[in-house]
Amino acid sequence: MTQAEAFSEREAAMCVVARMVESGKTYWAAGGGTPIYSVLLGKKLYAPDAQYVTEDGVIAPIPMLPFEPMMTMVASRATYKALSWGNMNTAGFYAQLGYMDYGVLNTLQVDKHGNINSTFLGEYGHGGRRMHGPGGADTIAACCWRTILITDQEKRKFVEKVDFISSPGFLDGSEGARERAGLPRGTGPWRVVTPWSVYDYVDRRLRLMARMPWVTVDEILAECEYKPLVAAEVQVIDPPTEEEVQILRTELDVRGQTTDAAGGWIVWDGEKYIRQVTG
Amino acid sequence: MTLASSQPIELLAEGKAKYHPVDPDGFREWVREHKSRTLVSKLMTEKEAVEKFVADGDYITYECNYLTRGPNLVLNEIMRQRKKNLWIAGKFTYVDVGLLVGAGCASKVDTGFFLATPGVRTALAEGRLEIFEYSNVVMSMRLEAGAQGIPFIPVRSFGGTDGFDYSGAKLIRDPYTGLPTVIIPALNPDVAVIHVQQADECGNARVFGTGISDVPAALASRKVIVTAEEIISTDEIRSNPGATSIPYWCVDAVVEAPFGAYPGTVPGYYASDPMAVMEIFAAALRGAVEPYLEKWIYGVSSHQEMLEKHVGVAKLLDMKKREVIKEGYRA
Repeated sequence: MTQAEAFSEREAAMCVVARMVESGKTYWAAGGGTPIYSVLLGKKLYAPDAQYVTEDGVIAPIPMLPFEPMMTMVASRATYKALSWGNMNTAGFYAQLGYMDYGVLNTLQVDKHGNINSTFLGEYGHGGRRMHGPGGADTIAACCWRTILITDQEKRKFVEKVDFISSPGFLDGSEGARERAGLPRGTGPWRVVTPWSVYDYVDRRLRLMARMPWVTVDEILAECEYKPLVAAEVQVIDPPTEEEVQILRTELDVRGQTTDAAGGWIVWDGEKYIRQVTG
Repeated sequence: MTLASSQPIELLAEGKAKYHPVDPDGFREWVREHKSRTLVSKLMTEKEAVEKFVADGDYITYECNYLTRGPNLVLNEIMRQRKKNLWIAGKFTYVDVGLLVGAGCASKVDTGFFLATPGVRTALAEGRLEIFEYSNVVMSMRLEAGAQGIPFIPVRSFGGTDGFDYSGAKLIRDPYTGLPTVIIPALNPDVAVIHVQQADECGNARVFGTGISDVPAALASRKVIVTAEEIISTDEIRSNPGATSIPYWCVDAVVEAPFGAYPGTVPGYYASDPMAVMEIFAAALRGAVEPYLEKWIYGVSSHQEMLEKHVGVAKLLDMKKREVIKEGYRA
């Protein structure tokens, strides 16, 4: 595979998630944007028999790409040639029944036990900043067997304790905490992917397991308010390939909605990747 | 296979927020008194439907959102009639909550998901708006319970979240499994508004494509307004009963509403108008809802006048043309 020579950080994160996608598994992709593009990229290149659902209960569509702007659910292109059309409750039922192997979602803030905040920044009800709420992510994080979280590598996004648990990780981190709260047994956070890094969990605590070639472990840790555990050997992730980036740009995110939103741009200078931060 | 022995129900934790009252017997009595079993025409304009069936202070749910198969002509009419103190079921909503709050119509939201606009944040800060925390699926499951005529429903999600504390949910020890189980209160809204592809004038309605909670919302609500792209005959309904999503007896008003979801899409019928969608988002995100409402809603007397004045035939035809996918959207 030819390594791509220039790509955005968001694109890099989507490529990493795409490589996690497995044939024969089901994915509940939250909302639009990076989760659904990641799963579609994975299906195209690595796991054609992976299936996905969205919050409107559609099963295994063959979407007509590209989507209309912001129309990733209850829209004819997004739900095209599905095996079944449903609704929000059928999606919830599939998840409650154990049919959803992986949930893929985006968030504003994650903590050391994988809890997710998309509701409120600051002390709830006292000033602070109201955000959009969990949407479908609460059910995804509660009921899918494994949860993959996509976020940015920023200090304020990796915290000791989220300001508000919108969607559950391992809660207080104690063994059985999820079950004591009424959630199905054997479920929970599995990976966190950022443009710089991948995390897993050891004893329900976040652990840095892999990094991109253009950042060091120290640089990553400097962008974590909460310092995660660090694997004895932090693997180096292969950078995006030309093929991955091309599919993202020409077939999936053709309007560049996930490209120019935030973060840096990674460029090959002939010897190594360098990070350029755009205004 | 081992079975857990039966254990007494025990209340383990509960949310502290107020919630729309749960009253299945009261709902049954409402149905007995108010829901006509007769096949009569319920056709009316959106103006009449809102005058008759949306009251200040009502709890209202609407299906989908402003971008996709939303009952936008009725939402716009609610704003035009300056309804007050509505309590919104904010599941899978988007920019619409920002508009309803901006227009001074909504004072409570159960959420879900909505676009947190500057207007919404200001209303919260000034105490004009209260928000109660749920999630999209928890909200649609609440409607599911409301639609079944039962007082609550167990769900396998929502436990352990901070939203739980600011909701009407409870955690109990379930007497069958002995496991901690979240229960959520049934939701029986005062009003449901649902935009569908086809309906007859009595309210037998066909929804094609995916959705959020069209059928539970129709069954669970005291007053139901159906708006339809096309009015079809009852004979046509009878020719394919399996295609009927919502039975007439739930429905109180039927509004013929071609392009009723403008500027959003109605799958199989027309694509969205991206420029107009962007205009809403720009207005909502810049905190400039008032001029938007003035142009698109207050400055016209009906949805049709809005389409004539601000959209035009060429654009509507183009929206139809761009919706190339038809499969699955006809009976």
